[in-house]
Amino acid sequence: MNEDTVLKPAPDVRFRIVDGEAVVVRQKSAEVLVMNEVAARILTLADGIRPIGAWVEILAAEYEVDRGALEQDVLRFAAELAAEGILE
Amino acid sequence: MSFGSGFLHNPDLFPARSAGETWGGRELVLDLPGGPYGFSGLSADQVETALARFGDLRVDTEPAVATSVFRAAAEDFREIDTRGWEYGLDFDFGPASLRLAGIGLAGRLDWRPGLRGALWTPVGEGERFPGIFENFCRVLVAYRLHELGGAVIHGAAVVDGGEAFLFAGRSGAGKSTVSRMALERGMTVLSDDLNALLPSGGNTVLCGLPFTGDLDKADSRARYPLRALLRLEKDTEDRLRPLRRAESAACLLACSPFVNADPGRHAAVLSTLLDLMEGVPAYALRFSLAGGMWSILPEA
Repeated sequence: MNEDTVLKPAPDVRFRIVDGEAVVVRQKSAEVLVMNEVAARILTLADGIRPIGAWVEILAAEYEVDRGALEQDVLRFAAELAAEGILE
Repeated sequence: MSFGSGFLHNPDLFPARSAGETWGGRELVLDLPGGPYGFSGLSADQVETALARFGDLRVDTEPAVATSVFRAAAEDFREIDTRGWEYGLDFDFGPASLRLAGIGLAGRLDWRPGLRGALWTPVGEGERFPGIFENFCRVLVAYRLHELGGAVIHGAAVVDGGEAFLFAGRSGAGKSTVSRMALERGMTVLSDDLNALLPSGGNTVLCGLPFTGDLDKADSRARYPLRALLRLEKDTEDRLRPLRRAESAACLLACSPFVNADPGRHAAVLSTLLDLMEGVPAYALRFSLAGGMWSILPEA
C-alpha cells in the first residue's frame, strides 16, 4: 500500500453519506456499519481512479493539516479498509 | 451455492412465471399492513389452517396484492434436518422479480405490472402449511411495505400512552426480554419480533405483524404514532444516548429483513428509512434486567 495505490469499494459494498457519516452495507456478511466523517470522505475518494496520493492532497486542503502525518494516517486507514474487505 | 439448491433438488426447473396446478378453488383475503392481501388456489384445509393462525385478519374485500398458490411435487424439495438449524430463505433478487425458496416453499414476487405473488408448495393440508404460508407472507409484506414507503423491522413494539416505542435489534439483542418486562408492567406489546413502520400523514406509525414471535399477538390492525426508536444494548445499567441520523438509519437497515439484502433496493430502502425517521427521536438504550429503563425513556 503506497500513495500510488488505487482502491475502490469491494463489489458487495454499498454506502451512502448521511449528515457527513457513511452508512456502509456489506452484503456478503449482511453487516451495516457507520463510519465517521473522515472515513466517509475516504470512501467517496476511493473511486478506482484516483491513487491514494490524490486523496491525501484533497484531504490536506480540506482539513488544513500536516501532509506528512495525514499521508501516514490515510495509508494506514486504507490498509485497514482493504484488510476488512471494504476496499480493494 | 446457487439459488435454491439448498432447498430444491432441481432449482433450474424453478417456475419462470406464475402458473401451475392449484390446490383448490378457495380464496382468502387478509388485512395485513399494506394490504389487503388475497390468496387464491387454496385447498379447504389450507384455508382452515391459515385461518387458525390469521383468522382475525380475514376480510371480505378486494385485495390490493394478489398471490396464487400452486401445487408442487414433494420430491422437488429436499429433506431438511432442522435440528440446530437457523431458519433462512434463499433469494434470487432481480429488478422486476424475486425468487425465493425455503422449506416446503418456492415463491415468486413479480412487479410488472404491479406486485403479484406466487407460491408453490407440496403441502396441501396439515399443520405444516401455516408456517410455509407465513414465511412467504413475511417476504411479501416486506416488499409491499417497501413499495408504500414503509418497512418491516425486526423489533419489539411497546405501546405507551397512545404512542409506541420500537425497540430494535437483531436476534439476541433483548427484544423478547423487553417485551416480557413490558407485559409485566401491564403494557401492550404489538409484537416482540416483527413490526411495520408506515408513513401516515407526514408522521410515522407503527403496527405489529402477526408473525411468529415468542409472545401472543396483539391486534395487528392497530396503529400507533412512533414516539422513539430505541436500539437495544444489554448492560448492567440503564442509559440512553441519542443516535445520530446515520446510526438510526444503520440500525433500522440492519433490522429490515429481506429487502435489506436486495442489492437493487439498498439505496431506496435507506431513503425510505431516513424518511420514516424524519423528526422521530432515536436512542441507543442500554438496559438492565432491573427494569429501571422505563423511567428514562422519552415521554410524549
